[in-house]
Amino acid sequence: MNSEYDLSGFICPLSLVKAVTVIDNLGDGEVVKLILGDSDSLKSVVGELKVRNIRPSFVKDGENRFVLTITK
Amino acid sequence: MVNRDNFLQGEELDHKLRVYTDITQLIASPENPTPLVRVNRINPNKDFQIYLKLERYNPFGSVKDRIVYQMLKALDIGDMTVIEPSSGNTGIALACVANALGIPIEIVVPEKIPEEKKVMLRFLGAKLMEADDALCPVFPSEGARGLVNAVIKSPATKGNYTSPNQYENKLNVEAHYRTTGPEIWQQTHGKVSYFFAGFGTCGTISGIGKYLKEKNPGVKIIGVEPASQDHKLPGMKRITGLAEEYVPTILDSSVIDDIVAVTDDDAYGIAMELARKDGIPVGPTTGAMLYVAMRYARSNKGLAVVISPDDAFKYASFYQNFL
Repeated sequence: MNSEYDLSGFICPLSLVKAVTVIDNLGDGEVVKLILGDSDSLKSVVGELKVRNIRPSFVKDGENRFVLTITK
Repeated sequence: MVNRDNFLQGEELDHKLRVYTDITQLIASPENPTPLVRVNRINPNKDFQIYLKLERYNPFGSVKDRIVYQMLKALDIGDMTVIEPSSGNTGIALACVANALGIPIEIVVPEKIPEEKKVMLRFLGAKLMEADDALCPVFPSEGARGLVNAVIKSPATKGNYTSPNQYENKLNVEAHYRTTGPEIWQQTHGKVSYFFAGFGTCGTISGIGKYLKEKNPGVKIIGVEPASQDHKLPGMKRITGLAEEYVPTILDSSVIDDIVAVTDDDAYGIAMELARKDGIPVGPTTGAMLYVAMRYARSNKGLAVVISPDDAFKYASFYQNFL
Protein backbone atom coordinates (compact mmCIF):
# COMPACT_ATOMS: atom_id res chain seq x y z
CA MET A 1 0.00 0.00 0.00
CA ASN A 2 1.34 3.44 -0.93
CA SER A 3 0.62 6.30 1.46
CA GLU A 4 1.47 9.95 1.84
CA TYR A 5 1.99 11.76 5.13
CA ASP A 6 2.07 15.53 5.07
CA LEU A 7 4.27 16.52 7.99
CA SER A 8 5.01 19.97 6.62
CA GLY A 9 3.03 21.61 9.42
CA PHE A 10 5.38 20.23 12.05
CA ILE A 11 8.80 21.69 12.82
CA CYS A 12 11.77 19.70 14.06
CA PRO A 13 11.83 17.61 16.22
CA LEU A 14 8.03 17.12 16.21
CA SER A 15 8.27 16.27 12.51
CA LEU A 16 10.88 13.63 13.37
CA VAL A 17 8.69 12.11 16.09
CA LYS A 18 5.76 11.92 13.63
CA ALA A 19 7.99 10.44 10.93
CA VAL A 20 9.36 7.81 13.29
CA THR A 21 5.81 6.74 14.15
CA VAL A 22 5.08 6.33 10.42
CA ILE A 23 8.30 4.41 9.80
CA ASP A 24 7.79 2.15 12.83
CA ASN A 25 4.38 1.13 11.50
CA LEU A 26 5.54 0.39 7.97
CA GLY A 27 5.21 -3.16 6.72
CA ASP A 28 7.98 -4.81 4.71
CA GLY A 29 7.97 -3.56 1.12
CA GLU A 30 5.53 -0.79 1.89
CA VAL A 31 6.16 2.59 0.22
CA VAL A 32 5.39 5.96 1.80
CA LYS A 33 5.90 9.58 0.96
CA LEU A 34 6.85 11.90 3.81
CA ILE A 35 6.38 15.60 3.12
CA LEU A 36 8.50 17.87 5.28
CA GLY A 37 8.37 21.64 5.58
CA ASP A 38 11.82 22.75 6.71
CA SER A 39 15.46 21.83 6.29
CA ASP A 40 15.99 20.92 9.97
CA SER A 41 13.17 18.38 9.69
CA LEU A 42 14.65 17.01 6.47
CA LYS A 43 18.08 16.65 8.08
CA SER A 44 16.66 14.88 11.16
CA VAL A 45 14.44 12.47 9.26
CA VAL A 46 17.16 11.59 6.74
CA GLY A 47 19.52 10.98 9.67
CA GLU A 48 16.99 8.64 11.27
CA LEU A 49 16.51 6.76 8.00
CA LYS A 50 20.26 6.38 7.65
CA VAL A 51 20.46 4.81 11.10
CA ARG A 52 17.79 2.36 9.98
CA ASN A 53 19.55 1.61 6.70
CA ILE A 54 16.68 3.01 4.66
CA ARG A 55 17.67 5.00 1.57
CA PRO A 56 15.00 7.51 0.57
CA SER A 57 14.49 9.17 -2.78
CA PHE A 58 14.29 12.92 -2.42
CA VAL A 59 12.47 15.68 -4.31
CA LYS A 60 12.47 19.37 -3.42
CA ASP A 61 8.94 20.36 -4.29
CA GLY A 62 8.96 24.13 -3.72
CA GLU A 63 10.82 26.53 -1.42
CA ASN A 64 9.92 24.78 1.83
CA ARG A 65 8.52 21.45 0.76
CA PHE A 66 10.65 18.34 0.75
CA VAL A 67 9.30 14.98 -0.33
CA LEU A 68 10.99 11.78 0.81
CA THR A 69 9.82 8.52 -0.66
CA ILE A 70 10.87 5.51 1.31
CA THR A 71 10.47 1.79 1.00
CA LYS A 72 10.97 -0.45 3.99
CA MET B 1 -12.26 27.32 29.68
CA VAL B 2 -10.44 27.52 32.97
CA ASN B 3 -12.33 29.34 35.65
CA ARG B 4 -9.85 31.31 37.73
CA ASP B 5 -12.19 31.00 40.71
CA ASN B 6 -11.05 27.41 40.72
CA PHE B 7 -7.79 28.60 42.19
CA LEU B 8 -8.94 28.36 45.75
CA GLN B 9 -5.80 29.22 47.63
CA GLY B 10 -6.58 32.06 49.99
CA GLU B 11 -9.96 30.70 51.01
CA GLU B 12 -10.48 29.65 54.57
CA LEU B 13 -7.87 27.19 55.73
CA ASP B 14 -6.39 26.08 59.01
CA HIS B 15 -2.71 25.14 59.01
CA LYS B 16 -2.78 24.36 62.73
CA LEU B 17 -5.50 21.74 62.46
CA ARG B 18 -4.56 21.05 58.84
CA VAL B 19 -8.04 21.44 57.43
CA TYR B 20 -8.20 22.56 53.81
CA THR B 21 -10.80 23.21 51.17
CA ASP B 22 -8.45 22.48 48.27
CA ILE B 23 -5.35 20.33 47.84
CA THR B 24 -3.32 23.29 46.51
CA GLN B 25 -3.65 25.00 49.89
CA LEU B 26 -1.13 22.49 51.21
CA ILE B 27 1.61 23.87 48.99
CA ALA B 28 4.33 25.20 51.25
CA SER B 29 4.50 28.85 52.21
CA PRO B 30 6.06 30.81 55.08
CA GLU B 31 2.87 30.11 57.04
CA ASN B 32 3.08 26.41 56.21
CA PRO B 33 6.76 25.64 55.62
CA THR B 34 8.27 22.35 54.60
CA PRO B 35 10.41 20.86 57.41
CA LEU B 36 14.03 21.73 58.03
CA VAL B 37 15.75 18.67 59.47
CA ARG B 38 19.31 18.52 60.78
CA VAL B 39 21.70 15.88 59.52
CA ASN B 40 23.32 14.33 62.56
CA ARG B 41 25.16 11.07 62.33
CA ILE B 42 26.90 11.49 58.99
CA ASN B 43 28.19 14.99 59.68
CA PRO B 44 30.98 14.92 62.27
CA ASN B 45 31.58 18.69 62.27
CA LYS B 46 29.38 20.26 64.94
CA ASP B 47 30.64 23.69 63.91
CA PHE B 48 29.12 23.27 60.47
CA GLN B 49 25.57 22.09 61.00
CA ILE B 50 23.72 20.90 57.92
CA TYR B 51 19.95 21.07 57.61
CA LEU B 52 17.90 19.53 54.82
CA LYS B 53 14.90 21.44 53.50
CA LEU B 54 12.60 18.49 52.84
CA GLU B 55 10.46 19.52 49.88
CA ARG B 56 8.90 16.08 49.64
CA TYR B 57 6.41 17.33 52.22
CA ASN B 58 4.66 19.40 49.59
CA PRO B 59 1.30 17.86 48.59
CA PHE B 60 2.50 16.46 45.26
CA GLY B 61 5.84 15.36 46.62
CA SER B 62 8.44 17.84 45.45
CA VAL B 63 9.82 21.36 45.36
CA LYS B 64 8.09 21.85 42.01
CA ASP B 65 4.69 22.13 43.66
CA ARG B 66 5.59 25.69 44.63
CA ILE B 67 6.30 26.91 41.11
CA VAL B 68 3.63 24.97 39.26
CA TYR B 69 0.76 26.55 41.11
CA GLN B 70 2.09 30.05 40.48
CA MET B 71 2.89 29.43 36.82
CA LEU B 72 -0.42 27.74 36.03
CA LYS B 73 -2.37 30.45 37.80
CA ALA B 74 -0.78 33.13 35.64
CA LEU B 75 -1.09 31.26 32.35
CA ASP B 76 -3.74 32.30 29.83
CA ILE B 77 -4.96 28.77 29.12
CA GLY B 78 -8.37 29.25 27.53
CA ASP B 79 -9.26 26.04 25.71
CA MET B 80 -5.67 25.04 25.10
CA THR B 81 -3.81 22.01 26.37
CA VAL B 82 -0.92 22.66 28.74
CA ILE B 83 2.34 21.04 27.69
CA GLU B 84 5.67 21.11 29.54
CA PRO B 85 9.06 19.39 29.43
CA SER B 86 9.87 17.81 32.76
CA SER B 87 12.17 15.27 34.31
CA GLY B 88 9.16 14.23 36.35
CA ASN B 89 8.57 16.42 39.36
CA THR B 90 7.18 19.43 37.51
CA GLY B 91 5.09 17.08 35.42
CA ILE B 92 3.61 15.34 38.45
CA ALA B 93 2.82 18.66 40.14
CA LEU B 94 1.37 20.08 36.92
CA ALA B 95 -0.79 17.01 36.39
CA CYS B 96 -2.17 17.19 39.91
CA VAL B 97 -2.99 20.91 39.81
CA ALA B 98 -4.32 20.65 36.25
CA ASN B 99 -6.52 17.72 37.23
CA ALA B 100 -7.94 19.73 40.11
CA LEU B 101 -8.79 22.47 37.62
CA GLY B 102 -9.94 20.27 34.74
CA ILE B 103 -7.13 21.35 32.42
CA PRO B 104 -5.83 18.84 29.83
CA ILE B 105 -2.13 18.21 30.25
CA GLU B 106 0.71 16.69 28.24
CA ILE B 107 4.18 16.12 29.64
CA VAL B 108 7.32 15.51 27.61
CA VAL B 109 9.94 13.63 29.60
CA PRO B 110 13.50 12.58 28.83
CA GLU B 111 13.57 8.86 28.04
CA LYS B 112 16.05 8.13 30.79
CA ILE B 113 14.08 9.33 33.81
CA PRO B 114 13.08 6.60 36.30
CA GLU B 115 10.14 4.41 35.34
CA GLU B 116 8.51 5.31 38.65
CA LYS B 117 7.99 8.87 37.46
CA LYS B 118 6.58 7.79 34.10
CA VAL B 119 4.16 5.45 35.87
CA MET B 120 3.08 8.26 38.19
CA LEU B 121 2.39 10.58 35.27
CA ARG B 122 0.31 7.91 33.54
CA PHE B 123 -1.44 7.16 36.82
CA LEU B 124 -2.39 10.84 37.00
CA GLY B 125 -3.83 10.67 33.49
CA ALA B 126 -1.29 12.96 31.86
CA LYS B 127 -0.56 12.28 28.22
CA LEU B 128 3.10 11.34 28.17
CA MET B 129 5.68 11.76 25.41
CA GLU B 130 9.20 10.50 25.79
CA ALA B 131 12.08 12.28 24.09
CA ASP B 132 15.60 11.12 23.57
CA ASP B 133 18.02 13.73 24.89
CA ALA B 134 19.76 13.88 21.51
CA LEU B 135 16.48 14.20 19.63
CA CYS B 136 16.80 17.80 18.58
CA PRO B 137 19.82 19.67 17.21
CA VAL B 138 18.20 22.94 18.29
CA PHE B 139 18.32 21.85 21.96
CA PRO B 140 21.32 19.51 22.14
CA SER B 141 21.06 17.11 25.10
CA GLU B 142 17.58 18.42 25.91
CA GLY B 143 15.19 16.71 23.54
CA ALA B 144 12.17 17.22 25.78
CA ARG B 145 12.58 20.99 25.70
CA GLY B 146 13.03 20.88 21.95
CA LEU B 147 9.92 18.81 21.44
CA VAL B 148 7.73 21.12 23.51
CA ASN B 149 9.16 24.07 21.63
CA ALA B 150 8.19 22.39 18.36
CA VAL B 151 4.66 21.61 19.56
CA ILE B 152 4.15 25.25 20.58
CA LYS B 153 5.58 26.67 17.34
CA SER B 154 4.54 24.18 14.65
CA PRO B 155 1.92 25.63 12.28
CA ALA B 156 -0.14 22.44 12.61
CA THR B 157 -0.37 22.61 16.41
CA LYS B 158 0.10 26.31 17.13
CA GLY B 159 -2.75 27.75 19.17
CA ASN B 160 -3.76 24.40 20.59
CA TYR B 161 -1.04 24.31 23.24
CA THR B 162 0.45 26.57 25.83
CA SER B 163 3.39 25.99 28.14
CA PRO B 164 4.37 27.43 31.52
CA ASN B 165 7.99 27.10 30.31
CA GLN B 166 9.70 26.71 33.65
CA TYR B 167 13.11 27.45 32.09
CA GLU B 168 12.14 31.00 31.19
CA ASN B 169 9.24 31.75 33.52
CA LYS B 170 10.13 34.37 36.11
CA LEU B 171 7.40 33.03 38.38
CA ASN B 172 9.65 30.00 38.85
CA VAL B 173 12.17 32.28 40.54
CA GLU B 174 9.53 34.39 42.26
CA ALA B 175 7.85 31.41 43.89
CA HIS B 176 11.11 30.62 45.67
CA TYR B 177 11.86 34.25 46.42
CA ARG B 178 8.45 34.62 48.05
CA THR B 179 8.20 31.28 49.84
CA THR B 180 11.24 29.00 50.12
CA GLY B 181 13.71 31.81 50.81
CA PRO B 182 11.65 33.40 53.60
CA GLU B 183 10.95 29.97 55.09
CA ILE B 184 14.66 29.18 55.34
CA TRP B 185 15.39 32.59 56.82
CA GLN B 186 12.64 32.19 59.45
CA GLN B 187 13.42 28.57 60.25
CA THR B 188 17.09 29.31 60.88
CA HIS B 189 16.35 32.56 62.74
CA GLY B 190 18.49 34.34 60.18
CA LYS B 191 21.53 32.22 60.99
CA VAL B 192 21.84 30.45 57.66
CA SER B 193 25.33 31.06 56.29
CA TYR B 194 25.53 28.52 53.44
CA PHE B 195 22.85 27.44 50.98
CA PHE B 196 23.30 24.52 48.59
CA ALA B 197 21.11 23.89 45.54
CA GLY B 198 21.45 22.20 42.18
CA PHE B 199 21.17 23.65 38.71
CA GLY B 200 18.09 22.48 36.84
CA THR B 201 15.69 25.11 35.64
CA CYS B 202 17.70 27.31 38.02
CA GLY B 203 14.58 28.81 39.62
CA THR B 204 15.36 27.43 43.08
CA ILE B 205 18.92 28.67 43.36
CA SER B 206 18.11 32.03 41.77
CA GLY B 207 15.03 32.77 43.89
CA ILE B 208 16.31 31.54 47.24
CA GLY B 209 19.79 32.91 46.54
CA LYS B 210 18.41 36.36 45.81
CA TYR B 211 16.27 36.40 48.95
CA LEU B 212 19.01 35.21 51.27
CA LYS B 213 21.59 37.59 49.80
CA GLU B 214 19.19 40.48 50.34
CA LYS B 215 18.76 39.49 53.98
CA ASN B 216 22.47 38.88 54.48
CA PRO B 217 24.97 39.48 51.66
CA GLY B 218 27.42 37.26 53.52
CA VAL B 219 25.37 34.09 52.93
CA LYS B 220 27.25 31.81 50.53
CA ILE B 221 25.20 30.33 47.72
CA ILE B 222 26.72 27.13 46.35
CA GLY B 223 25.52 25.66 43.05
CA VAL B 224 25.87 21.93 42.44
CA GLU B 225 26.07 20.30 39.02
CA PRO B 226 26.74 16.82 37.63
CA ALA B 227 30.37 16.06 36.82
CA SER B 228 29.44 15.17 33.24
CA GLN B 229 26.60 15.73 30.79
CA ASP B 230 25.87 12.00 30.87
CA HIS B 231 24.62 11.46 34.41
CA LYS B 232 21.94 9.78 36.51
CA LEU B 233 20.79 12.84 38.43
CA PRO B 234 17.36 13.57 36.90
CA GLY B 235 16.43 17.22 36.92
CA MET B 236 19.99 18.38 37.34
CA LYS B 237 21.91 20.17 34.63
CA ARG B 238 25.61 20.69 34.04
CA ILE B 239 26.01 24.43 33.52
CA THR B 240 29.78 24.49 33.10
CA GLY B 241 30.68 24.43 29.44
CA LEU B 242 27.10 24.84 28.32
CA ALA B 243 26.65 27.27 25.45
CA GLU B 244 25.01 30.44 26.72
CA GLU B 245 21.87 30.02 24.62
CA TYR B 246 21.09 26.74 26.43
CA VAL B 247 21.49 28.08 29.95
CA PRO B 248 18.03 28.78 31.45
CA THR B 249 17.34 32.49 31.06
CA ILE B 250 16.06 32.71 34.64
CA LEU B 251 19.45 31.81 36.13
CA ASP B 252 20.74 34.70 38.22
CA SER B 253 24.43 33.88 38.34
CA SER B 254 25.15 37.05 40.34
CA VAL B 255 23.95 35.32 43.52
CA ILE B 256 26.18 32.28 43.14
CA ASP B 257 29.48 32.13 45.02
CA ASP B 258 30.76 28.73 43.97
CA ILE B 259 29.92 25.88 41.58
CA VAL B 260 30.91 22.33 42.48
CA ALA B 261 30.58 19.22 40.31
CA VAL B 262 29.57 15.81 41.72
CA THR B 263 29.76 12.32 40.24
CA ASP B 264 26.84 9.90 40.28
CA ASP B 265 28.75 7.56 42.58
CA ASP B 266 29.33 10.27 45.15
CA ALA B 267 25.74 11.52 44.98
CA TYR B 268 24.14 8.08 45.28
CA GLY B 269 26.69 7.00 47.87
CA ILE B 270 26.02 9.85 50.28
CA ALA B 271 22.24 9.58 49.76
CA MET B 272 22.38 5.94 50.79
CA GLU B 273 24.62 6.73 53.74
CA LEU B 274 22.14 9.39 54.87
CA ALA B 275 19.26 6.91 54.65
CA ARG B 276 21.19 4.25 56.55
CA LYS B 277 22.68 6.44 59.28
CA ASP B 278 20.20 9.29 59.69
CA GLY B 279 17.04 7.59 58.43
CA ILE B 280 16.23 10.25 55.82
CA PRO B 281 15.32 8.79 52.39
CA VAL B 282 16.24 11.43 49.81
CA GLY B 283 16.65 11.43 46.05
CA PRO B 284 20.05 11.32 44.33
CA THR B 285 20.10 15.05 43.57
CA THR B 286 19.84 15.74 47.29
CA GLY B 287 22.75 13.35 47.64
CA ALA B 288 24.76 15.47 45.20
CA MET B 289 24.10 18.67 47.13
CA LEU B 290 24.69 17.01 50.49
CA TYR B 291 28.00 15.63 49.23
CA VAL B 292 29.16 19.16 48.48
CA ALA B 293 27.90 20.44 51.84
CA MET B 294 29.87 17.67 53.56
CA ARG B 295 33.01 18.80 51.72
CA TYR B 296 32.43 22.33 52.94
CA ALA B 297 31.96 20.96 56.46
CA ARG B 298 35.59 19.80 56.47
CA SER B 299 37.00 23.29 56.57
CA ASN B 300 34.24 25.78 57.36
CA LYS B 301 32.00 26.89 60.20
CA GLY B 302 28.39 27.93 59.98
CA LEU B 303 24.84 26.78 59.42
CA ALA B 304 24.12 25.19 56.07
CA VAL B 305 20.81 24.51 54.37
CA VAL B 306 20.62 21.96 51.57
CA ILE B 307 17.53 21.88 49.40
CA SER B 308 16.11 18.37 49.12
CA PRO B 309 13.84 18.48 46.05
CA ASP B 310 12.01 15.17 46.57
CA ASP B 311 12.49 11.71 48.07
CA ALA B 312 14.12 8.34 47.46
CA PHE B 313 10.95 6.48 46.50
CA LYS B 314 10.75 7.92 42.98
CA TYR B 315 14.24 6.57 42.26
CA ALA B 316 14.03 3.01 43.55
CA SER B 317 14.97 1.58 40.14
CA PHE B 318 17.98 3.90 39.92
CA TYR B 319 19.14 3.14 43.46
CA GLN B 320 18.96 -0.54 42.63
CA ASN B 321 22.09 -0.15 40.49
CA PHE B 322 24.06 1.31 43.39
CA LEU B 323 23.10 -1.19 46.11
